[in-house]
Amino acid sequence: MQFVVNGIITGSIYALVGISFALIYVPTKFFHFTHGAIFASGAYVCYACHVFLKLPLWTAILLALGASALGGFGLELYVFRALRRRGATHLVLLLASLGFYIALQNTTSLIFGDETRSLRSLEAAQNIVVWGAHITQIQLGIILAAIALSSSIWVTMKFTRFGKALRAVAGDPKLAEVCGINVDQMILLAFAIGSAVAGVSAILVALEIGVTPTMGLTALMGGIVAMIIGGVTSIPATLLGGLLLGLAQHLGVWKIGSQWQDAIAFLILAVFLLVRPQGFFGKPHKMAAI
Amino acid sequence: MEYLCHILVLIAIYSILASSLDLLAGHGGLLSIAHAAFYGLGAYTSAVAAVRFGAPFLVGVLAGVIVATVLSFIVSMPSLRLSGDYFVIATFAFQAILLSTLNNWTELTRGPLGIPGIPRPIILGWHVQSQLDFLILAAGFGAFAPTVVHRLTSAPFGRVLHAIREDDVSARALGKNTLYFKVTAFAVSAGLAAMAGSLYAHYVTYIDPTSFTVMESILIISMVIIGGAGSLWGPLVGAVVLVTLPEALRFVGLPSAAAANLRQIIYGTLLVLMMMFRPRGLIGKYSFAK
Repeated sequence: MQFVVNGIITGSIYALVGISFALIYVPTKFFHFTHGAIFASGAYVCYACHVFLKLPLWTAILLALGASALGGFGLELYVFRALRRRGATHLVLLLASLGFYIALQNTTSLIFGDETRSLRSLEAAQNIVVWGAHITQIQLGIILAAIALSSSIWVTMKFTRFGKALRAVAGDPKLAEVCGINVDQMILLAFAIGSAVAGVSAILVALEIGVTPTMGLTALMGGIVAMIIGGVTSIPATLLGGLLLGLAQHLGVWKIGSQWQDAIAFLILAVFLLVRPQGFFGKPHKMAAI
Repeated sequence: MEYLCHILVLIAIYSILASSLDLLAGHGGLLSIAHAAFYGLGAYTSAVAAVRFGAPFLVGVLAGVIVATVLSFIVSMPSLRLSGDYFVIATFAFQAILLSTLNNWTELTRGPLGIPGIPRPIILGWHVQSQLDFLILAAGFGAFAPTVVHRLTSAPFGRVLHAIREDDVSARALGKNTLYFKVTAFAVSAGLAAMAGSLYAHYVTYIDPTSFTVMESILIISMVIIGGAGSLWGPLVGAVVLVTLPEALRFVGLPSAAAANLRQIIYGTLLVLMMMFRPRGLIGKYSFAK
């Protein structure tokens, strides 16, 4: 039973990161690797504010969320928008994003060092027993945050004016522009919201495990795998993809050992790319469009 | 003199890596983040062949090339059916799975401990012992790889590859079996990377998984892009620049841990700047833009 609970917890994190990544990926269609660095910097800002500046945890969390949202906002405003204006392809955007990821991750290691640092201030011992499985308050928080955030983002995307506009941009940016939607502004908002959601998940990971400079890439890859096996199309699909990935990983850990955790995630991805590249709920890819 | 030879050997090894990746990324337009994986496959295959079975150098090189080429088919057959961005993620998955295998298949690779005591090569009675001797050997291999790539891309094979890069669907409409060309380019590229790996293993005489991480792949990508993709000299210029740059930092007198971070910050930033202001690279022809 414990592995199911652990799987759901890990899966919730993957789902949150996957959703935050999808918010940016769906309208822009490029693999935004710096998202991993935004994720890690959210956690590190929280850590620095709480441990170095001795700010209360809630203030630190709010500052960290602000910082990650601002990070995504700034990147889009000053880098990716300029690149897109110049007609850069997705591959160019991906490479620029990868470059930023490397620079930011190493800046973090340079400042804070490579070791894992703990942010835990709450009593970790407060276990709650659910169906014979142990779960801490933070872990419960992770699951609740995943449910709350994914449902509120889903409602926003489905029913509000902003959500509809963003989906229109995702469907066809030129057509959206013609209909009077400010495409650049929508993408900017998607970056800010996506980065803030990444910040939330980063802080939860920081409280649960701790902070390391490379935490961003690990989480991001989990999120991307969750998004792809879910099928990129919708928020609930990514949520399910994340949970499926988390459960499969913990089943693997239980059966063959924890050192193969990464390999399991990517093997699942490889199987999906091989058999069903559109994911569980997606529509098949088209090779060419008119 | 010893030091100068060391730098030149490294440049030769990275020239092989950068020009073989250029065949795929610059000429084929297929960005792979798995180049360090094939580099590592070559290094590990020839290290195991030499240390376990006492195989001579050239047999080890051949074994490494064969293993990498065969594995390249397993990666490329399914993932090259996908569109560009998904191919990047699929190669990332392969890179992660291979690194995990190197770390965890301890019976064969000794895991994080690495394989020590790899002998310096002996070729037809020529004992390659001194740095200068090794430089001559490395220069030979270092000239071989770019020549192969250059010959291939100047031939009709290269023209089809360029056509696929520019417009996959049109190339297919002209009756070209695009999958065949992409898979072949990937296999040649992987085989050459494995050759560089064997050379590296026999040069440093000790290898461990940390030399073949995704960061190494990104370093090789940066060489191709900073030098200039899709040209004979571009990747070579990139290799020279990115090998000598950190050596220059060494003379500034930074502590080595900080220097490693700073080196990565520099090439990450260079990658972003190149994408923003000179996507063709220093002397390249292709800018990843259609």
